[in-house]
Amino acid sequence: MSEAWAGRDATAIIGTGNTDYSRASGRSVLPLATQASLAAIADAGLEPGDIDGIVRCDFDVVTHNDLANSLGITDLTFWGSNGPGGSAPSAMVGQAVGALMSGQARNVLVYRSMNGRSGFRLGKGRLQATSGPIGGNGTYEEFFVPYGLVSPGQMWAMLARRHMHEYGTTEDQLGAIAIACRDRANANPNAQMSDRPLTMDGYHASPVISSPLRLVDYCLETDGACAVVITTADRAADRPKNPVYISAVTQAVIPDMQGGLASPVLMRPDPMLLPSTQVAAKLYERSGMGPEDIDVAQFYDCFTITVLVQFEDYGFCKPGEGGPFAESGAIEPGGSLPINTSGGNLSDGYIHGMSHIVEGARQLRGESTSQVAGAETCLVTSGLPITTSGLILRKG
Amino acid sequence: MSDLPIPVTDDADTGGFWEASAEGVVRVRRCDACAAVLHLPKVYCHRCGSWDSSWQDVQPTGTLYTWTTTYRELRPGFTPPYTVVLVDLDDAPGARLVGYLPGEPDLRMGMAMRAEFEPRGDTTLVQWVPA
Repeated sequence: MSEAWAGRDATAIIGTGNTDYSRASGRSVLPLATQASLAAIADAGLEPGDIDGIVRCDFDVVTHNDLANSLGITDLTFWGSNGPGGSAPSAMVGQAVGALMSGQARNVLVYRSMNGRSGFRLGKGRLQATSGPIGGNGTYEEFFVPYGLVSPGQMWAMLARRHMHEYGTTEDQLGAIAIACRDRANANPNAQMSDRPLTMDGYHASPVISSPLRLVDYCLETDGACAVVITTADRAADRPKNPVYISAVTQAVIPDMQGGLASPVLMRPDPMLLPSTQVAAKLYERSGMGPEDIDVAQFYDCFTITVLVQFEDYGFCKPGEGGPFAESGAIEPGGSLPINTSGGNLSDGYIHGMSHIVEGARQLRGESTSQVAGAETCLVTSGLPITTSGLILRKG
Repeated sequence: MSDLPIPVTDDADTGGFWEASAEGVVRVRRCDACAAVLHLPKVYCHRCGSWDSSWQDVQPTGTLYTWTTTYRELRPGFTPPYTVVLVDLDDAPGARLVGYLPGEPDLRMGMAMRAEFEPRGDTTLVQWVPA
């Protein structure tokens, strides 16, 4: 056995914040980031001047210096960014952990802000506005975009069809995930789908966007922002609310992962082998926990199929059995692994994985709108399949 | 269909593929030292550490690995519904190429596919149809 990971429970989330989620925020991205950050800083019992570190996502239009200026921060000693895109949030927390443990910062703000519906719509692909010849320079997009393969939804649809072919996964099993997330959103007043119930009949009536995936297999597009404040475990003890310890954090790739962004994933030796398998192994090793120790999970859910494969990759069921697990009742309140308790990307809002960290911390403080009784640990995952990252949080 | 996107064809790493498609040939990059297929095309082989690689013609045949039919307009020029196929090359196991098919073709997993060559702008795309 390797010795215990030095980062285990060495840092903690002490504040969470988010804006309203909408299709048209009516404001630019910087005030969204500012609003979520101020909420997280106040929740931690701190002032903006106490923040000396900032970590952002590489796709965010708001930079660390934009946000520091907006918040009136004058003593910024650490900043960083991570990506690509949705794979970042847990890894952004990991950068904060590194900065805190090495003494480069005392209180680190981690945020994600976007006008994801009224501004740049990621679902249409990163190259939607590109003119002239496509690809080159290591993007490899010349092998995809000229053929009409332009969006992450098409790529996940092809993986979903493959999963159905190899393991007999059904539309109803994907539907069970969409409905679970929607039911949690219906209990969450801030969720974009708060007042929109979804039944299995409604799932099947939803239009197919890219077969076999339907509109309700897709995440939302959202204007909004989320933020958390992280500090060392000893400082966290002095904060007004219970700390939420970071028991493990890691990022991962897989061998022969391919370069570029989403579409090249289809050119891997086995496109179904995802880096979440490696994040899982490392998280369990670093935390000293296993899947049986996880009380609640916030799975990155750009699509329902993305959640289904993670059930397998994080060891909650055997490979290929993500479908039966999805419809077993395990992911519902009272089940062995309630998931996405604010509604997730699918039905709460799409803040590119950052809302999953906010909700994970709230679960372990007893603040969730779908509180899991007695929850002591929470798995949080970030986007895949290009790269990915994850966290295990523990109640303080 | 002037809205259809045109690929970059003069990239140092991938240009050989487009040179071949203009000749009506499917070509993949292969390591000269250990014969590993370097696809998507790249020049360094991390399996054996060789910098020596070259383009190799392969049969224009493959098998259907997966596909999706898209019912929304995602980019001008691609009128829905249309289908994107992912094809395993018979001659280069593990190397795949995508293709575009209009509409909702009748497809089966694992079915035999063959390449067709579609002129677009000044270049030629390798497309895939049921064999």
